[in-house]
Amino acid sequence: MLSEIALYGAIETGLIYGLVAFGIYLSFRVLDFPDLTVDGSFPLGAAVAAVLIIEGVNPWLATGAAILAGMAAGAVTALLNVKLNILNLLASILTMIALYSVNLRIMGRPNVALLTEDTVLTPWYSLGLEFHQVPVVLFAIVTVVSLLLLWRFMKSETGLAMRATGANARMARAQGIATGAMIVLGVALSNGLVGMAGALFAQSQGAADVTMGVGVIVIGLASLIGGEAVLTPSTVLRALIACVIGAIIYRLAIAFALNADFLGLQAQDLNLITAVLVTLAIVLPGVRNSVRARLTRNSN
Amino acid sequence: MISASNLKLTFGKGTPLENPALRGMSLTVNQGEFVTVIGSNGAGKSTFLNALAGEVLVDSGQIIVDGVDVTRLPTHKRANRVARVFQDPLAGTCEGLSIEENLALAIKRGQSRGLSAAVKARYRDTFRNSLAKLNLGLENRLGDKMGLLSGGQRQAVSLLMASLTPSSILLLDEHTAALDPKTADFVLELTKDIISERKLTALMVTHSMKQALEVGDRTVMLHQGEVVFDIAGEEREGLQVKDLLALFEQQRGLTVDDDSLLLG
Repeated sequence: MLSEIALYGAIETGLIYGLVAFGIYLSFRVLDFPDLTVDGSFPLGAAVAAVLIIEGVNPWLATGAAILAGMAAGAVTALLNVKLNILNLLASILTMIALYSVNLRIMGRPNVALLTEDTVLTPWYSLGLEFHQVPVVLFAIVTVVSLLLLWRFMKSETGLAMRATGANARMARAQGIATGAMIVLGVALSNGLVGMAGALFAQSQGAADVTMGVGVIVIGLASLIGGEAVLTPSTVLRALIACVIGAIIYRLAIAFALNADFLGLQAQDLNLITAVLVTLAIVLPGVRNSVRARLTRNSN
Repeated sequence: MISASNLKLTFGKGTPLENPALRGMSLTVNQGEFVTVIGSNGAGKSTFLNALAGEVLVDSGQIIVDGVDVTRLPTHKRANRVARVFQDPLAGTCEGLSIEENLALAIKRGQSRGLSAAVKARYRDTFRNSLAKLNLGLENRLGDKMGLLSGGQRQAVSLLMASLTPSSILLLDEHTAALDPKTADFVLELTKDIISERKLTALMVTHSMKQALEVGDRTVMLHQGEVVFDIAGEEREGLQVKDLLALFEQQRGLTVDDDSLLLG
């Protein structure tokens, strides 16, 4: 079974990936814009926050800067698509590749350690909580606040215009919505959330690394799809809650898989497990429905 | 008032598929006029409507809406002046959004959108009253997803959405063509009611000559990207489909070979 520390660790990482899942919900679900920029904007957020923290900038300000950097990266992807008519998927891959160089430039080396620096977590350790509970409490607050703000935004006039852009662009234009501007705003917001996740991840892990973004898109998708399988996303609020639940379930599943000795899995099997979990999450709801259909047919 | 002058548009210029869709189309629609537009397939009806809406930009010519030159403006910048109902009942609404969210999108057509709640309490009464006039019971289903409604219901709501805020012109693109005959009649009656009640200026494309003569107060026929004839008032009074055909042949020395124009 999982140790208490491993359990908290899984929830902590799950909460951070909940933010990534919000971003992926915005791009993939709301805007119908398959955006792979996140593999670059996650380490971008980490790099920006780490370098600024080392320079002595307040860690919250550094995290804010990471959000802005992520938004800028998202805006580049969206502008490549909207203004230059590059296919959305390809545009995001171009930005992702470019960000690898940008991140190396920002950090000046492949990784930056934060172990001795003050981070957003530092003040919370003096509140009398157990050491391993601190990140969970802080990240839970950040994730819930982000969820509520995002929910509020999706219900606003602009948020509704963004949802219409993804659902029916022609109708949106006919209602006077500048669909191109909505795509830029949405993809920027999405990557701002991912940049924030990267910044928080670097601070909780004690380092930013240029390779830490590899596979973030798949983990985010796994969280999104897994969450949707558990909690039907019939409203925006449910969809957002599903993102967080999915991300935590995903991290717990990984932790269990790695801890179950009889399976013989090791850390290097992580990506394989992820791919299997995503496949299951995509396939299982369909299997469940067909089984249910077969059962009801038999009972008639 | 809306005036289109000498609109020209060729699709696929310089390719073997070059297709001149508009060849000098000119039409002026006066304030409060309800114009029906007919023409065979490829006559340029849909292209003309798309050009007025901004979905396609013309190669040359000028489009003036209420004194403003909108010729080069994209769709969303014309939306404050131009309202539209599409042929496809699924095209005018978002199925994943609720009825009230769709209406909330429409009530801000062509206006700036901020961060205040999209569905406001004060809108709900307006929405309920407008929906009640449809007699479809939708006034009690504001929170239902649009996708739960039938094609006819969705087209009725599209029509309502197009008339929720004032416009210089309402464009109806064969908006009853994809519906079954009974529903089509219902939507057409609704169209007539809304247009006369709100004194809207409207341009309705139809595939049926009969409908073109029965509805509205002026009929325009398009052929090969131009206006062939334009009749209104006494001249239009009591005109039958066969008279229309005779008129067309006399004007062009052509016979209408498109059966679908005669039917319906």
